[in-house]
Amino acid sequence: MNARDAILGAVRDGLRGASAPPLPEPNATSAPLSIEERIARFTAVQQKLGGVVEVVADRRAACARIGLLLARQGAAVAALSDAPWLAGVADYAPVGCELLAADAARERLLQADVGVTGAQWGVAETGTLVLASAAERHRLASLLPALHLVVLPVRSLLGTLGEAFAAMQGAAGAPVARTLTFVTGPSRTADIELTLVVGVHGPKALHVLLVADDDAK
Amino acid sequence: MSRKVALFATCLGDQLWPEVVQATADVLQRAGCVVTFDPAQTCCAQPAFNSGYQQEAKAVARRFVEIFERADAIVAPSGSCTAMVHRYPHLFRDEPAWRARAEAVAHKAFEFSSFLVRELGVTDVGATLRARVAWHDACHGLRELGVHDEPRALLAAVRGLELVDLRTGEACCGFGGTFAVKFPELSTAMLDHKLSALDERVDVLSAIDSSCLMQIRGRLQRRGSRVRALHLAEILAST
Amino acid sequence: MNSMRPETFAANAREALADATLTGALRRATDTFADRRAAAIGAVPDWQELRTRAAAIKAHTLARLDHYLEQFVANAEKAGAVVHWARDANEACAIVRDLAAARGSKRLVKSKSMATEEIHLNAALAQDGREPVETDLGEWIIQLAGETPSHIIVPAIHKTKEQIGELFVDKLGIPPSSDPQVLAAEARTRLRAHFAAADLGISGVNFGVAETGTILVLENEGNARMTTTLPAVHVAVMGIEKVIPRFADLETFLRLLPRSGTGQHLTTYQSMLTGPDPTGQGPRELHVVLLDNGRSRIVADELMRQTLACIRCGACLNACPVYQSIGGHAYGSVYPGPIGAILTPQLQGMHSAGTLPFASSLCGACKDVCPVKIDIPTLLLELRRRAVEGEPAAAPGAPASLPTRRKPLEALGWRLWSWVTRSPARFRAASALTRLGQKLPFAKQLFGPLRAWQSTRNAPELAKRSFRSQWRGPVR
Repeated sequence: MNARDAILGAVRDGLRGASAPPLPEPNATSAPLSIEERIARFTAVQQKLGGVVEVVADRRAACARIGLLLARQGAAVAALSDAPWLAGVADYAPVGCELLAADAARERLLQADVGVTGAQWGVAETGTLVLASAAERHRLASLLPALHLVVLPVRSLLGTLGEAFAAMQGAAGAPVARTLTFVTGPSRTADIELTLVVGVHGPKALHVLLVADDDAK
Repeated sequence: MSRKVALFATCLGDQLWPEVVQATADVLQRAGCVVTFDPAQTCCAQPAFNSGYQQEAKAVARRFVEIFERADAIVAPSGSCTAMVHRYPHLFRDEPAWRARAEAVAHKAFEFSSFLVRELGVTDVGATLRARVAWHDACHGLRELGVHDEPRALLAAVRGLELVDLRTGEACCGFGGTFAVKFPELSTAMLDHKLSALDERVDVLSAIDSSCLMQIRGRLQRRGSRVRALHLAEILAST
Repeated sequence: MNSMRPETFAANAREALADATLTGALRRATDTFADRRAAAIGAVPDWQELRTRAAAIKAHTLARLDHYLEQFVANAEKAGAVVHWARDANEACAIVRDLAAARGSKRLVKSKSMATEEIHLNAALAQDGREPVETDLGEWIIQLAGETPSHIIVPAIHKTKEQIGELFVDKLGIPPSSDPQVLAAEARTRLRAHFAAADLGISGVNFGVAETGTILVLENEGNARMTTTLPAVHVAVMGIEKVIPRFADLETFLRLLPRSGTGQHLTTYQSMLTGPDPTGQGPRELHVVLLDNGRSRIVADELMRQTLACIRCGACLNACPVYQSIGGHAYGSVYPGPIGAILTPQLQGMHSAGTLPFASSLCGACKDVCPVKIDIPTLLLELRRRAVEGEPAAAPGAPASLPTRRKPLEALGWRLWSWVTRSPARFRAASALTRLGQKLPFAKQLFGPLRAWQSTRNAPELAKRSFRSQWRGPVR
């Protein structure tokens, strides 16, 4: 008998006649928060975790801001996701800062100082960014560099985790992307005497730009 | 209101600290209860049960049920022994007839302080004791019976008594029955952590369980401490 | 510390207690965790409802585990994952070894996973010269030191920063430092090189979603994201009990797990992976190794089944006064603390781990903090019963196993105790005898348990007169 049949058989035999208590109905939390409340909560949680949040007027302003932040960081190499509107960053990037596309070689991406990506949703109550790999190629740019700049349209800022799980599940029940990542603050560890160290493997800093008017070109 | 109470002395109370059992009876009587004591009683069976010897425990538990099933209310100066009686239905889970009898008995078995406060609605039993008292939340009372506020309410009404907050109040004293002799160093390390929060503000460390107090007192005496270990009933019986 | 076995728990505990550095570090750590947890759950008004809900989801799923496993596998395979089944540790290790060998994988990285610890995967891969590099900071420290983890969440909880600093000087040749910032930065640099070169990544699984075939991996450092993103092949080892029915159920567990474990409202990263990522940003292959290793036996036991509801948060360790005093190594098992004391004897058998259920004062703090409401004290008591009475029959008609705790003198003692205690006359006679006995010189030295008691505490004496002999009847 193969392992699959043996294990399933053993489980089935062991549970023969077992009564199962009912499965509770799904209980997705939601919170009817205004945009302002969502921004305020998201910002407060991020700040507590060491993240930075600011609101910018539109996508063009976001690109301009990113250019400034790259300059301030003294970035030599920045890794960009393939979100089409990030092409605008090129207009503002400081001279001498190389911009890598999402399909750049792995070795190059590992050298990036800054990663610039969008996020598909945000969760106000937990200060979480949701990255969906089907919408954007941002798995590496959001992970490898020491600074992660994230752009999130304000209208994608949800209230609760429950709303996020609902949004992440498509109509047919399958997740909307093969890889869904929650990012809540910069990378951290407390493995040495429970002393907090920010930025151990993932980004040491997280900077979120909330785009107020996302309809701009 | 007069309640008929069948006193369960517990084996330790009966044999080692009769004064605690007497104090329990005195306070209950002062609160208007008619207290009876059936000398056929011995032990709740917890020592064997906790050691894994459930067959041996069952034999003793059956005797307990037979002795106490006609009582109106069973009151014990111990959260641990009361919690054991509450475990009888689990112990007899494969014996429906005994299980039903065990449930009936468990339903009317009460720990002393919670019986006073929850059942009788009494907090002031007219006691006086000039002492600064810290409280040990005995584990089974606290976590299996939910006894937390009741003894504090009773102590708050004792004249002259000052209740001192103990940082490690809810920490286990390390007794755990045979655990205390199977792993004496570990048991004592747990106790020493508990006692590490005691300071000069405390005269008395009190609890609802004589077994915890045996552990605590034994260590305090060994260390030559001036802090006394007293059962709640002894404090409430003081006038 | 690392050769400790469960059989020698008492001696292990003594050794741990004699190590003041260890006990100090443990007390600080477990106190900190307990405080953080209390603060975190204090901010959740519906905490008890959440626990009840999570316990109900787990109880339901485990009672229908065959159904949900099949659903999980079908959906994971539909998404392109390759699912492997392993009856035991050997099979699981062989699957991973074969996967690595077939692909000629040379550089393996691994993120923290209890299941891979349980099957001793690193040692198995090391036989082929493919020992993975542990990438969680705590696990990496432990691997450098050649030790074993002492905590489910914080593997190096038993080591001080000074000890870790010395280890880094010794193994990595860096200048001395005991600054966690410096040490963590060194780890970042060193492990980057391993991530960059890795061709196979190994992770555990926190939850597997039946409805979608998704696996969720939860972490703080980003090493699990690295491990499940950079190498071309990702192998996830998952206990069969990790499956939950619906994608939306993840929310319930994500609210509970980090708060219980580290006191965070959410850990920094959750990766939810449904098959390999066709966008080319992650591994080309995703393999899920479903591990039984004794779990199907536990599922069959109605009372003990709840053991498998554990989500490995570590809250019971931090709350346990035994764990707080001696740490994880003394348990001599991969799973320490209260959960280890019930899980290990069931996974490994009572013969090797039958002592662990006795290593508890039954204080119940573990049950209070458990986010999925496992009744650990009741299960400890049941395992104690099985240790002295033998295990129940594995199947109808099969013989029950013999007791593993064969202590004829102890058993005789309890039979005698029971015989005495169920008769008031015998009870009176025995106490009278004891009253006489305790007057004998050296009496306390002759009786083993009393001797143990007196090693650290003064012993009480029986009262001159018992309560029953003083009772004068009710006052009217």
